[in-house]
Amino acid sequence: MDSLVQSVLKSSAEKESKYKTTEVVKDIEVDIDEGHLLAVDPNPLDIKLLRSERDSYLKALARNDTQLLINKIWELPVERVEDVIVAKLPEPRTVVPREKPLPKEKPMTKWTQYAREKGINKRKKGRMVWDETAKEWKPRWGYKRAGDDTKDWLIEVPDTADPYEDQFAKRIKAKKERVAKNELQRLRNIARNMKGKVPGVGLTPTDTPDKDDVSRALHLARKSTASLGKFTQELPKEKPAKHVGKKRKFEPMIGNFNEEKKRALDILNKITNKQPTLNITQATNQEIYTEEDQKRIGKGGRNHLEGKAEANKTGTGRASQKEKAGVEKAMVKRDEHPSS
Amino acid sequence: MRPLTDEETVAVFEKLSKYIGENIRLLIDRPDGIYCFRLNNERVYYCSEELMKRAANISRDNLVNLGTCFGKFTKTRKFRLHITALDFLAPYAKGFGVTAKSTTDCRRVDPMTIVCFHQADIGEYVRNEETLT
Amino acid sequence: MGQKRDFVDRPKRGPGRKTKKQGLPELPKQLKTEETKKKLGSRSRKRLVKRLRKQTELEQKKLIKKKQVAAAEDESDDENEEGDISSHSDSEDMEVTDGYTDDNKQWLKLSKKSFKKQGTHKQDDVSEDEDDSVEEEMEGGSSSDDDDDEMEDDFIGSDDDETNDDDDLLPVEKAAKKLQKKQKRDEHLAEAELQTNIAASEIYHLPSGQEITKEYILLQLAIFKGMTLSRKEYVNQLLKDMCLYYSYNNYLMMKLLDLFPQEIIEFLEANEAQRPITIRTNTLKTRRRDLAQALINRGVNLDPIGKWSKVGLVIYDSQVPIGATPEYLAGHYMLQGGSSFLPVMALAPQDNERILDMAAAPGGKTTYIGQLMHNTGMLFANDANKDRAKAIISNLHRMGITNCVVSNYDGRTYPKILIGFDRVLLDAPCSGTGVISKDPGVKTNKDEKDILRCSHLQKELILAAIDCCDANSKTGGYIVFSTCSVMVEENEWVIDYALKKRNVKLVPTGLDFGREGFMNFKEYRFHPSMKLTRRFYPHTHNLDGFFVAKLKKFSNRIPGQDKDKEDATEADAHLQETIGKNKKEDTDDSDNEEEKNKTMDVDSATSDGDDKNDDDDEEEEEDDDQEKEFGTGEDAVNRRRIPEFRGISVAVREKKNLKRKFKEQDEDNVSKKQKIVKSMTRSRHDAKISVKRNTTPRSSKKASNETPEASQSLKAFKTAQSVQSSSKTAKTAQHVKGIPKMPKTSQSVKVAPTPVSGSRKNDAQKRNTKKTVEKKKAPKTFTKKRKS
Repeated sequence: MDSLVQSVLKSSAEKESKYKTTEVVKDIEVDIDEGHLLAVDPNPLDIKLLRSERDSYLKALARNDTQLLINKIWELPVERVEDVIVAKLPEPRTVVPREKPLPKEKPMTKWTQYAREKGINKRKKGRMVWDETAKEWKPRWGYKRAGDDTKDWLIEVPDTADPYEDQFAKRIKAKKERVAKNELQRLRNIARNMKGKVPGVGLTPTDTPDKDDVSRALHLARKSTASLGKFTQELPKEKPAKHVGKKRKFEPMIGNFNEEKKRALDILNKITNKQPTLNITQATNQEIYTEEDQKRIGKGGRNHLEGKAEANKTGTGRASQKEKAGVEKAMVKRDEHPSS
Repeated sequence: MRPLTDEETVAVFEKLSKYIGENIRLLIDRPDGIYCFRLNNERVYYCSEELMKRAANISRDNLVNLGTCFGKFTKTRKFRLHITALDFLAPYAKGFGVTAKSTTDCRRVDPMTIVCFHQADIGEYVRNEETLT
Repeated sequence: MGQKRDFVDRPKRGPGRKTKKQGLPELPKQLKTEETKKKLGSRSRKRLVKRLRKQTELEQKKLIKKKQVAAAEDESDDENEEGDISSHSDSEDMEVTDGYTDDNKQWLKLSKKSFKKQGTHKQDDVSEDEDDSVEEEMEGGSSSDDDDDEMEDDFIGSDDDETNDDDDLLPVEKAAKKLQKKQKRDEHLAEAELQTNIAASEIYHLPSGQEITKEYILLQLAIFKGMTLSRKEYVNQLLKDMCLYYSYNNYLMMKLLDLFPQEIIEFLEANEAQRPITIRTNTLKTRRRDLAQALINRGVNLDPIGKWSKVGLVIYDSQVPIGATPEYLAGHYMLQGGSSFLPVMALAPQDNERILDMAAAPGGKTTYIGQLMHNTGMLFANDANKDRAKAIISNLHRMGITNCVVSNYDGRTYPKILIGFDRVLLDAPCSGTGVISKDPGVKTNKDEKDILRCSHLQKELILAAIDCCDANSKTGGYIVFSTCSVMVEENEWVIDYALKKRNVKLVPTGLDFGREGFMNFKEYRFHPSMKLTRRFYPHTHNLDGFFVAKLKKFSNRIPGQDKDKEDATEADAHLQETIGKNKKEDTDDSDNEEEKNKTMDVDSATSDGDDKNDDDDEEEEEDDDQEKEFGTGEDAVNRRRIPEFRGISVAVREKKNLKRKFKEQDEDNVSKKQKIVKSMTRSRHDAKISVKRNTTPRSSKKASNETPEASQSLKAFKTAQSVQSSSKTAKTAQHVKGIPKMPKTSQSVKVAPTPVSGSRKNDAQKRNTKKTVEKKKAPKTFTKKRKS
C-alpha cells in the first residue's frame, strides 16, 4: 500500500517537475488586456542574463508572461459549448491607432447649406405610408409608391385647361422634369464642391435668351468649325466677343527681373503675414445654429437628436467634436506649420 | 522653361516656408546677383539669371537640368520637394525636426492619430537617381 | 496634334532608306571567320584585276627566263600543290616546299620546333631568286592577305607553263582556261584557309616564358639573317599565341603590337589587373585631409594618389562599401578613375568662365570642373544619352554644384545651339581600348570598323567642340580632347584632322608626366607639335589607358568655310577614307582633281600654316591607292629596305603595259584613262623619289615663269612649297609614300591664267573666275591628254 502511494506520489512529482508552475511572480504587475489577448510586461530586462544567454532568457520571459495572460483568461467566466470550454473575452481596453485617416466630411449640398442657415432640421420620415385609396401600406417613393398620380385611371380635366391637352401625358412629363431637375441639382452640387475647374456644359436652351446668352452662342458657333474658327469671317465693325474665356498666359521667360522679384516677395509676404480671415455671414449663421441647437437640447426633444444625426451623417459619438472643429474652421483659417 | 505663375509660386513658397520660413526671402533677394525660379518639365529650378539666359538657348525637350532642381509639381499641382534642394534648405533650416514617440506612447494615443513617418535622406541621391532630374 | 515633330536638324546617320530594307541574312559574329575579306568597290575590283594581270605577266616573263635555266622547277611546284596537306611531316617534302609557300613552311617548322637552319637545301640560285621576287611582290601586306597572295602567286607560277602554251589559243578557249584557273585558285584558297586553321590548332601550346621574351629578339633583325623563317612569321606566331593566351581578337592584338612593340606583354598583363579604386575630394564641401580622416575612421585603407593631384585618394581596401558611405552621399567625394582627373587638370578651368563639357555623363569630370570653378561662372554639361544625362544631375546635386546646365543634344549639333565658350572639354566616346581591365569585352568585340567609326565620330565632335569655343576669350579659348583609348586612329589622327580643319594649335597640357603623343606612327605622319599631347598607359602609370590633348583656338574663322562646295567634296573624300570603303566615284575624274588641287593651292597661299596639311591630305589619298596596289601598308619598314631598282622595273613594266593598253582600249571611256595616267605618275614617283623632289620647286618655278600675273598671287604658295620640299627632303629616310603629286599641281597652275592681283581679299573672286575658266577648258585638257 505504501509503495503504491509512494509510486503515485512519485509519478505525480515527476509530472510536476515536467510542467512548470502556473504561479508567476513579477515585481511590477503585467498589464494585461484580455480583449486583445495582449500582455505588456513593464519589468526591466535583466541585462546580464540577456547578454549571457539571450535565447533561453527571452524564451523563459515570454513563457511566464504568456502564463500570466492565460491565468487571467481562466479567471474570466467560462462556459462549455459542445465539449469545448469557451471564455468570453471582455471589450478591449487598448485603443489601436487607425491605419487609415478619418473619412472626410461629406461636402454640403446647396440645400443642406440653406437648411443649416435657416435652422431647418430634417425629420425622419417612415419608409412606408398608408395609402387611403388602396387601403394598404405602400412605399413613400419608388416602385408602386403611394399616391402615384401617374397611375390614375381617370383624371378630371380642369375648367381652365385646354380640352385637347393630354392630362395623363402632362403628369408623366411633370414627373420626368422633377427627376431631371433633381439629377441636375445633384450634379451641380458635385461640381460646386470640386475644387478645380468644372468643364462648362456649353449652352443650355433657355426660354428667353438674353444678350449674353446670344453672344455666347454666337462665339461658340464661330468656333465650331474644323479649323476652330480660324477662317470664320467677321462682320464689318464687329465688336470683339465677350465671354470667350481666358487664354493661358505666362510671363516672359526673360522679362523684367526686378518686377519678378517684387512679385515673388509680395507672394511671400502674403503667405507669411496671412491673417485669419473672418467670414462674417458664415460665422453668424453658425452662431445662430449652435444657439438653436443648445435650446433644443435643453428641451430634450427627440426630433432634434434625429435631425442632428441626419445633418451630420456621421456617428453620434463624434458629433460634438465635429461641431467644434467646424466652428474653429469657420472662425480661424490658420496655416498649418510643422514647427508651430 | 518659364517663370512660375502666381499659384505655382504660392505652392512652392508654402512648401519651402515649412522648412526655412521667412528665409525664403534670402533666396529671392540675394546680394550676389539676381536669382530666379524657373519651371521646366514640371520641375522647379533655381538658378542665377545669367545662367538662365544662356540656358534659354536649349530647347525645353533637351534641357535636363538647370542650376538646382528644387522639386516638382505633381499631376494634382501639389509641389513636392526633392532631396536636391537640400543644399539651399540646410543652411536656413529652422528646426523642423520631429522626434519619434516611443511605442508605449503610440499605444496610448487617441484613435484619430495617424502614426507614420517619412523622412528624406541623402540616400535618395543614389536611390532616386532616375526620378530626381 | 499627334507627336511633336523634332525640328532639330540631326546629322545624317546610318544607311539610306533603300539599304534599310532587309538585307541578306548574316552570320552571327562568333561564327564568322576572323579574316573576313573586305568587300571591294568597283574601282578597287578593277584595280585588283589589273594587279592580277600585271602579276601574271610578271611571272610569265620571269618564268620564261627561268625555264631556260631550270626546267625542273615546275615539277616541284606541282608536287607542292598536291602534297600540301597530306605529306607535311615528311622532311623531303618540307625541303621541297620550303622555297614556295611561306604558309606551309610556317606550320611545318613549328610542329618540329627546330629553328636551326636546314643544311640540306638543294635550292639553287634560281629558286632563291624566285623566292625573293615573291617576297618583293608581297611586301607590305597584312598577314592574312599575305597568305592569300602567296598562294595565288604560287599558283600562278605553277600554271605558267600552260599559259605559255596557250598563246595561240582561241579567245573562247582562253576564257575557259581562265575560268578553270579561277576555280582552281578558289579551291586552293579554301584549302589554304583550312590549313591555316589546322595549323593554328595544332600549334596550340601555352607560351612559355621563353616565347614571351621572343619579342625582344624579334626586334633584332640581325638574328633573322641565319634563320629559315622570316621575322614576320615569328611575329605572326607571337601574335597568335598572345591572342590565344589573353583572348584578344586578331585585329586588336595586331594594333596593340604596333603600338607597343616592346612592352606588349606588360600592357596586356596590366589589362588583366584591376586599377585601384580612386576617389576625388570635393573641395567645395571638405578638404582632403578631413575626408581621409573620416574615411579612415570608417575602416578604409587609403593613400594620396600621387604628387600630381591634390584631391585624389587611392582606396586600397575598405570595410564599408565606398559608394554608400554617408560622406559619399553628402557629396564629400566622388568615385572616379585616376585618369579622369587628367583632362580636367589639362583644361585648368578658371573662375567666372563659361565651360562646356561635351560628353559629360556620368558627370565625374563635370563635377571636377565645377569644383575648380568654385561654383562661379557657367558650366554646361551635355550628353547625347538622356538616361545617362540623369546620372550627371544626381552627381551634380550631390556634389553641390549649382552653376551647371545639363542638356541632351547630339554633340555634333551643339555649335548650332550655343557657342562662345572659354573652354571646352571633349571626353570623346571611344572604343575603350585603354580600359580593357574595366570592360574585357573590348578584347574581342572591336574590329577595324568600330575603331574607324569611333574615329569618325570623334572627328566630327572635335570640330563641333572647336566651333563652340571662342578664340577671342580673354582667359581661355582652349579645347581639351581626351579618350580612354590607346589607338592612334582615335587620338593623334583626330587631333591632326582638327589641326588641318580649324585654326587651332596644340599647346602643352600642363601634365608633367605621361608619354608624348606619336608624331609619326606607321603610315601616319602627324604634325610635329603632336608631342605636346600626352598618353597614359596602364603598365607605366597604373592609370587607365588615356590620351589628353590641349588645343588653343587662335581664330574664329573656319578655314575654307566660304568655299562650301570644295569643302563638301573634301569632306566626302575624307569620310570615304575613314570608313575605309575607298570607293572613288567614277565621276571623280581629273577635272575635279585639278579643281581640288587648285583650291588647295590657294589655301596654302592664303593660310601659311596649312600648306603642309593639305599636302598630307593628298598623301593619305595616295597612300590608300598604294595600299591597294601593294597590299595594305603594314610594313612600311620592310618596304624601306627594298632596293630601288625594283621600283624602277615596276615602273618600266607599267609603262609598257600602259602603252599597250592605250592601243587596245581606244573605245574605253575617259575616266578610266585618267586613272591609268594617275597610276603611271604614281609608279614614276615610286621609281625616283629624289627626282621628283627636285621637280617640285622646278615645276612651280616654271609655272611662275609662264604666268607672271599668277606668280604674284602664288608667291606665298611658292615659299610654302619650298619649305615643304625642304622638309620633305629632311624626311626622305622614312618618307616613301608621301609624295606630292607634282604633275597635277603644275597642270593646275597652267590652267589658271588669272590676271587678278594676289591680295587675299580677292581670293574668292579669283577662284570663281578660275572655276569658270576651267569649266570651259575642261574638254580641252582631255583632248590634250589623249594626244599625249
